[in-house]
Amino acid sequence: MMRRLTTFLAAVLAVTVMAGGAQAGQKVKIGTEGAYPPFNSIDKDGKLVGFDIDIANALCDAAGFECEFVVQDWDDMIPGLLAKKYDAIIASMSITEERKQKVDFTGKYYNTPAKFFARKGSGLEISPEGLKGKVVAVQRATTHENFLTDNYGSVVTIKSYATQDEAYLDIVSGRADAGIADSVAVMDGFLNTDQGKDFEFVGPDFSDVKWFGEGAGIAIRKGEGDLLNAFNDAIAKIRADGTYQKINAKYFDFDVYGK
Amino acid sequence: MLDLRGYGWMLWEGVQLTLLVGVCALMVAIAMGMIGAWGKLAHNPVARLAAGTYTTVIRGVPELLLLLIVYYGTPTLIQDVATGLGYDIIIDVNPFIAGVATLGFIYGAFSTEVFRGAILAVPKGQIEAAYAAGMSRSQMVRRILLPQVWRFALPGLGNVWMVLMKATALISVIQLPELMRNAYLGAGNTKLPFTFYFAASLIYLGITIVSMLGQQRIEAWARRGVREA
Repeated sequence: MMRRLTTFLAAVLAVTVMAGGAQAGQKVKIGTEGAYPPFNSIDKDGKLVGFDIDIANALCDAAGFECEFVVQDWDDMIPGLLAKKYDAIIASMSITEERKQKVDFTGKYYNTPAKFFARKGSGLEISPEGLKGKVVAVQRATTHENFLTDNYGSVVTIKSYATQDEAYLDIVSGRADAGIADSVAVMDGFLNTDQGKDFEFVGPDFSDVKWFGEGAGIAIRKGEGDLLNAFNDAIAKIRADGTYQKINAKYFDFDVYGK
Repeated sequence: MLDLRGYGWMLWEGVQLTLLVGVCALMVAIAMGMIGAWGKLAHNPVARLAAGTYTTVIRGVPELLLLLIVYYGTPTLIQDVATGLGYDIIIDVNPFIAGVATLGFIYGAFSTEVFRGAILAVPKGQIEAAYAAGMSRSQMVRRILLPQVWRFALPGLGNVWMVLMKATALISVIQLPELMRNAYLGAGNTKLPFTFYFAASLIYLGITIVSMLGQQRIEAWARRGVREA
């Protein structure tokens, strides 16, 4: 652990001049959150694990990049990319119009629907009438928050949280009546845990392109088309050679790539 | 007891980093505080203005905002300007340095006021007497002012330390794996947020209690030879 401390002390202020263009053997830093299982999380040994991480490694192999992960807080994920703390975001980030104003995205690498969830037997009906006066918990700065605001903002009280876990916490404690998030994240991160055993999905799948976009993509700084193309090619390559399907099967029993 | 599911080592590493950041930031804060107090009490109007601006601005802007400006804002600005000029550079501010510098700079403003109060608490007559006895300015500072300033400043500095200690939790936003950030990661991966945040709060409380005991001993040591009222 002293080694970890010294690495922080080692580089005081490093200024690097970048080589132009994407090429094999190039060093690429990948930003991820590390607190969004089963997509990206940190295991007991402090290692990054999850679907995003496996996909990122597969993409780097396919593109011939030497990749290094940087763990970053969700709220500052895009500012960190713009500040060049890393070169690409692979953190289950949904492709949206709003984010496209700041960064470029590759095509999707997965697309799972959003769903509401609530206490078992709540009889909650997902409609403006059914949700009237309810408190709904959602992670801040997410597509789910925008969807909730635009569709139910006038009838429900929205409580936004910095992390999905804080949203779960308030739902368990009863300060919120329901939540909305990515179905897979809720399934794995909440419903299948001790904390979430009294809760269930309610209502239909939501995957409107208007709010949820095409799915989760890799974010790259604008004007770095070479890197963007390299990642797009790599996605096509791992889809074609079966690597993607192998990783998919390791985590899910259905196809997360979507239609 | 608290079952940390094998993530206890992360909290332990976090504590070490938290203490390291805290101690380093305190040293920066004390240095800044002495310079600031000197500036505020100087006859030179430029020094007074600079020190006054420093304490006003820093005490008036939230720590979190300053931290974000130092870590994200400044590098992005410099890089964008450089890109505009045709250079492609990456400024990598080490989060440890950014955190220590920002916290030290902020709490330096608070310790400026602590030192200013402490200097003013030394009776003016003693300083005049020192000059009358033929001491030079540096002799007066070394023999009369500083020994007493430390004694007067200790309670205030102890307070600065305790607030600073808790402010280190803010550094979690710039990816420094200190106690707060590791508690967050542990909570995220075990789905036991209450356990991890509770453990972290006990640790912060423990640090505060140990600091208080330490402060009492240091103050007693500084007061040796001073008659209690």
